[in-house]
Amino acid sequence: MQRSKQVAMGRKKFNMDPKKGIQFLIENELLKNTCEDIAQFLYKGEGLNKTAIGDYLGERDESNIQVLHAFVELHEFTDLNLVQALRQFLWSFRLPGEAQKIDRMMEAFAQRYCQCNPGVFQSTDTCYVLSFAIIMLNTSLHNPNVKDKPSAERFIGMNRGINDGGDLPEDLLRNLYESIKNEPFKIPEDDGNDLTHTFFNPDREGWLLKLGGGRVKTWKRRWFILTDNCLYYFEYTTDKEPRGIIPLENLSIREVDDSKKPNCFELFIPDNKDQVIKACKTEADGRVVEGNHTFYRISAPTTEEKDEWIKSIKAAISRDPFYEMLAARKKKASSLKRQ
Amino acid sequence: MGNYFTMIFSRPFPKKQIKLLMVGLDAAGKTTVLFKLKLGEVVTTIPTIGFNVETVEYKNISFAVWDVGGQSKIRGLWKYYYQYTEGLIFVVDSSDHDRIETAAEELNAMLAEDEMRDAVLLVLANKQDLPKAMPVHELTDRLGLHALRGRQWFVQATCAVQGSGLYEGLDWLSDQLSRR
Repeated sequence: MQRSKQVAMGRKKFNMDPKKGIQFLIENELLKNTCEDIAQFLYKGEGLNKTAIGDYLGERDESNIQVLHAFVELHEFTDLNLVQALRQFLWSFRLPGEAQKIDRMMEAFAQRYCQCNPGVFQSTDTCYVLSFAIIMLNTSLHNPNVKDKPSAERFIGMNRGINDGGDLPEDLLRNLYESIKNEPFKIPEDDGNDLTHTFFNPDREGWLLKLGGGRVKTWKRRWFILTDNCLYYFEYTTDKEPRGIIPLENLSIREVDDSKKPNCFELFIPDNKDQVIKACKTEADGRVVEGNHTFYRISAPTTEEKDEWIKSIKAAISRDPFYEMLAARKKKASSLKRQ
Repeated sequence: MGNYFTMIFSRPFPKKQIKLLMVGLDAAGKTTVLFKLKLGEVVTTIPTIGFNVETVEYKNISFAVWDVGGQSKIRGLWKYYYQYTEGLIFVVDSSDHDRIETAAEELNAMLAEDEMRDAVLLVLANKQDLPKAMPVHELTDRLGLHALRGRQWFVQATCAVQGSGLYEGLDWLSDQLSRR
């Protein structure tokens, strides 16, 4: 496969599962396995989803923590005040919501900030605790689930004694409070979440009929797009977001006869009839729910189209290197059992 | 006169909003718990940079759940959030034998906070589906819960990924808290 196409595939894998994406890029020698190289890849962020970057940087594994530190080193905070620096930092990835992850990230950030701006804080710890307090403040002031909004006085009170036992200047804290109150941290724009990228140049697309997964099964006409080892379906061709997403990982495909519709095929989990296929769809009222299909039965308008779809889906499934690796392992395991 | 009283008492009671904190070590399953409790609801809130905070409506009680935690250096900051906390949800990975002592220390440090004096404690013994999961009675011992004095506590076995046990835990909380 072409190198650039493989890199693009690695990026998409990263957006679905950051760890697997990095592993794929390293195994295919598209990325060197050093924390500096990985950090550089994340910092450039081309085609990467910022939530996925945040997830990767937030992991507790020693290797991820090293990448986090190398990633922070790539930021330049000289002559920025603390909130400016935080705004820049938090634009480069989507901060995860778990307290422990935020803790590690603020600690790494504070080390870098103090390195770029010696003398601003008495110690790195002061800077770290204050940065953490600012994230708490942003949550309290701007998350609609928090009803009890703190005043500037409360923010000042909260930070009492954090300067190695002493207090930070009240003016400084008041300014920080006002800055966050007037301008919340922005949600970083996703480079990799732009679905038009994903749906541009698909492996195959077209109208198909899909049998519903509920108790009363009905046939619905949907616009299907096959790309990146995933099947997406839309109500209209002009829809920006799909109604449903079916990852093809671990699925198989077969032709079936249906009493009502011609040219049918089915997606199913091999050796497991009753397991629900991992998928999601958007309900009419906007809720995103898990799929409820144990199989997907699909009807194509003509025999030719059915054959083309089956061919393309088969190719998409087997193109996945993880699938091949898994299939090889399964084969080995079952042959061992037989011996 | 009679009508007057009927009118007052038949008026629906305002929903009580209760502040809960959720703690637990990394990867205990806190985010999954929050996500499962919210699954199926229409997500209309604008995303915010910061800590996971969710409001969960259950049995006429509205719970506001904060994911809190981090190193001891920042514990002073959380004190401001501990005020008026009525309940603590402690999530523990039942299969993590190596870190159960650390989890016990974390829990005891939390309970020692003055602001948590009156908070009831719900322990979610999570990941019960894993083969090496410790049963509830073993976790109760290893977390030292029998030694707690003057505190309402309860251990609920859960598997957050499947969503099992979560509502039973909330049932216990709402029972305890509506009695107050």
